[in-house]
Amino acid sequence: MIDRYPPPAPVRRRFRDLRDRLFTLLVGACGIGVILAVLAIGVFLFVEVVPLFGGDTPASETQATTEIDFESLWLPQQYPDYETPRYRWQANVLSEDDTPMFSLTPLAWGTLKAAAYALLFAIPLALGAAIHSACFMSRRLRHRLKPALELMEALPGVVIGFVAGLVLAPYVERHLVGALALVLILPLGLLVAGVVHSCLPATLARALSLSRAGLWLIPWLALLVALAMVMSPYLEVVWFGGDMRAWLEQQLGLDYAMRNAMIVGLAMGFAIIPTIYALAEEALSGVPDSLSEGAQALGASRWQTLWNVILPAASPGIFSAVMIGAGRAVGETMIVLMATGNTALMTLSPLDGMRSMAANIAIELPEAAAGGTHYRVLLLCAFLLFVFTFCVNTLAEIVRGRLSHRYRRLGGLA
Amino acid sequence: MRRSTSRRPWLAEGPWAWLAAGGVALSLLMVIALLVLLAGRGLAHFWPQDIEAVTLEDGAQFAGQVVREQGLPGEVDGRERLYRTGNRDLQGAQWRWVDVADIDTRATPEDLVIVERRRWGPFIGRVVALEGPETRWTVEDGDTLWQQLDERLNRVSQLRSERDVVRTQYLEPLAERLANGEKVADDEDELQALKARIVNLQEAMQRDRVVLESLEGQQLTLTLDALIDVTRPNAMSLPAKLSSWGHNVWRFLSEGPRDANTAGGIWPAIFGTIMMVLLMSVLVMPFGVLAAIYLNEIAPQGRLTRLVRIGVRNLAGVPSIVYGVFGLGVFVYGIGGTLDSLFFADELPSPTFGTGGLLWASLTLALLTLPVVIVATEEGLARIPDAQREGALALGATRSEALRRVVLPMAVPAMLTGLILAVARAAGEVAPLMLVGVTKLASQVPVDGTFPFIHLERKFMHLGYHIFDAGFHGGDVESAMPLVYATALLLVLVILVLNLTAIFLRHTIRTRHRVRTH
Repeated sequence: MIDRYPPPAPVRRRFRDLRDRLFTLLVGACGIGVILAVLAIGVFLFVEVVPLFGGDTPASETQATTEIDFESLWLPQQYPDYETPRYRWQANVLSEDDTPMFSLTPLAWGTLKAAAYALLFAIPLALGAAIHSACFMSRRLRHRLKPALELMEALPGVVIGFVAGLVLAPYVERHLVGALALVLILPLGLLVAGVVHSCLPATLARALSLSRAGLWLIPWLALLVALAMVMSPYLEVVWFGGDMRAWLEQQLGLDYAMRNAMIVGLAMGFAIIPTIYALAEEALSGVPDSLSEGAQALGASRWQTLWNVILPAASPGIFSAVMIGAGRAVGETMIVLMATGNTALMTLSPLDGMRSMAANIAIELPEAAAGGTHYRVLLLCAFLLFVFTFCVNTLAEIVRGRLSHRYRRLGGLA
Repeated sequence: MRRSTSRRPWLAEGPWAWLAAGGVALSLLMVIALLVLLAGRGLAHFWPQDIEAVTLEDGAQFAGQVVREQGLPGEVDGRERLYRTGNRDLQGAQWRWVDVADIDTRATPEDLVIVERRRWGPFIGRVVALEGPETRWTVEDGDTLWQQLDERLNRVSQLRSERDVVRTQYLEPLAERLANGEKVADDEDELQALKARIVNLQEAMQRDRVVLESLEGQQLTLTLDALIDVTRPNAMSLPAKLSSWGHNVWRFLSEGPRDANTAGGIWPAIFGTIMMVLLMSVLVMPFGVLAAIYLNEIAPQGRLTRLVRIGVRNLAGVPSIVYGVFGLGVFVYGIGGTLDSLFFADELPSPTFGTGGLLWASLTLALLTLPVVIVATEEGLARIPDAQREGALALGATRSEALRRVVLPMAVPAMLTGLILAVARAAGEVAPLMLVGVTKLASQVPVDGTFPFIHLERKFMHLGYHIFDAGFHGGDVESAMPLVYATALLLVLVILVLNLTAIFLRHTIRTRHRVRTH
């Protein structure tokens, strides 16, 4: 950083000085301009959304203006065709006398539901991976693993969404029992691998060490998945009389939608694992060595050290990793658009679809008349997404900043 | 960094350690599975697959290519197989599910052909005869038939390209001139002559005809004009299949889509993506680098700058759809609408710049990738040891000289990293494009021979959006799927290569400066 000016210039350097000042001015102006332009996004959305609540919504020619206030957006409304007040999102009216229904609650519900299922899938995997690579992996292997997961982060959402919506969803529909059984089979399989490992002769155990388990477990897990898929029809016959979907409907009253929250959770979880992993791993491996060495000197095992010393020390970092992952999940558009049925349902069931705010914007905004109520409500959605992700990310960033101070302090104490 | 712990002999790590290891393994397994799936399906589509002649238990016959096999729902042993039978015009559908138990015999006779047509999708069956103006070759003529067919198909494609040249280079400019009222005496005659020539060419293309017969016994006579390609996969040797595979891949990359995006190639989408990314790079690089220089070298390093830095970093986490909304509201409706009312008022109400287009899409993505470039460049600038700057200043350089001659050249790899990451991000981003200018089928590419050559207001096709559209909006998803796989594979490959380059570059920067500081 240049924080000191060069010594006072002689007269013949006045031209160079002038040029220097001009250059600095130019860069400064451009820099400030760019940063302001980038920050203008929030301002623009805010300005566009304000007229919605101002009461004097300018009437557009194509669309009847509807009264919008906090109540009509978030609370159940009495609509003509329904007996009880309810939440409905139906912006496109088919005939003249229908009123569009702008209830954001089902959209917010869908957004949060998709994000929740994604986190449910991603947090255990990403944190497990972070813990394993920070505490058990050799440093060389860790440096190889990082780029691999960075590449995973770079996979475009549209490809993940395509695979989830058109390949995974129909496949899981046909192998539902096997897919659900994986929730049990995979952890059990891992434990079996651990038990088998402790029984192995020393040479083999060294070759298949825990520090390299991230690699040699891959074929084992692939085998388990394949087995579960092959077994799926048999299990279905044994447990559910040959048709699990009929069983679900009769016994539990659950409808099975092909593109459902489970699929979205899987796909979007896949997309946010690398984000959470990278940040959590950074936090875990940043914990000062003196802490874990002290714990180990007192006789703690590696896992005890991790659980009682490293994790509590790194917990703010892990929290911020999860927050940033949640921010990504809330705003992800293409995966939700492609892997859900985009029906605005408000259920908790993992077997139902949903419609998220981001997907809703992508579907409806191109058709909404500029300046109309519908347009502004969609912009309000965008504004909410912006504010939410911005706050979450800022919070996470601040927590991370505090964390590095804390590590420096903890390290200094030792 | 923690020391390597693998030498410590702890045996009882407990169950959680193994579950944590499973996290790594499962994540990697999913990435591998995804890439293998895309590569396998994406590349297999171009392989000339054997055509089976299937006889069912009840004696019925049909021909088709095996697509996949799966268990019957609700049964343990039953399996069904999907065949692509083509002949949509004769059979009404080109897909057929067959219960494996119903199949009596399967054979791969060498005379079965798959014919790619301009309409109705592929034909699968036998060639009965080839009819020229005087002669007629039948199956009995053996290789002569296939040679003649090849020659005549080549002739038709030559005629077609001649016709296209006449149409685009002579007829259309002339017609445009006439429409604008710039009449010259013999223009009218020339127009008639050109039209007559095109009619002649088209008639010549329809000279030869081929008689086809499906295995069900229906006959079909087509002019060679309606055919694109005739292949006999069952008669092909391995090298022939390989060369046919390469030819198919090339056609996929270089041709335009047909049949509502369910067949043909993706060249316009590749071209549109490249154009957009180029334009975006030109827009994002100077501003991103300037902002980074300002933040890191010029701005006073106080609380405000730190806040701004956090803000910029956080913008990288703002959902891309929000940028799309911003682009639509500000660029398309705001700036575009104003431009229209100022300069293109006679075209209104049909918008010129007031609708999505190449320029607005590039600008939106430039804004979206700005934080990426700023963060990467800043990281590079921060890694340059202060000794370099102080050395330059001590030798009497002004601040701008020190920046331009010493600091910036050293930061070039970091800027490149930023650019590559920005390009990779932009190439894969679809959601904002749906709002600001991408289209499912662009009749015109944004670059052509008429002034001003690059048409920034035109809509364009994009690889990512092509995946979404072909996979989810097409009528016949089954036939679009292989193309979607191939497109997805191409997109992923491009993005992976870009990211690997960025990772490699970043690695070299880090090691280089580490060596210098020590």
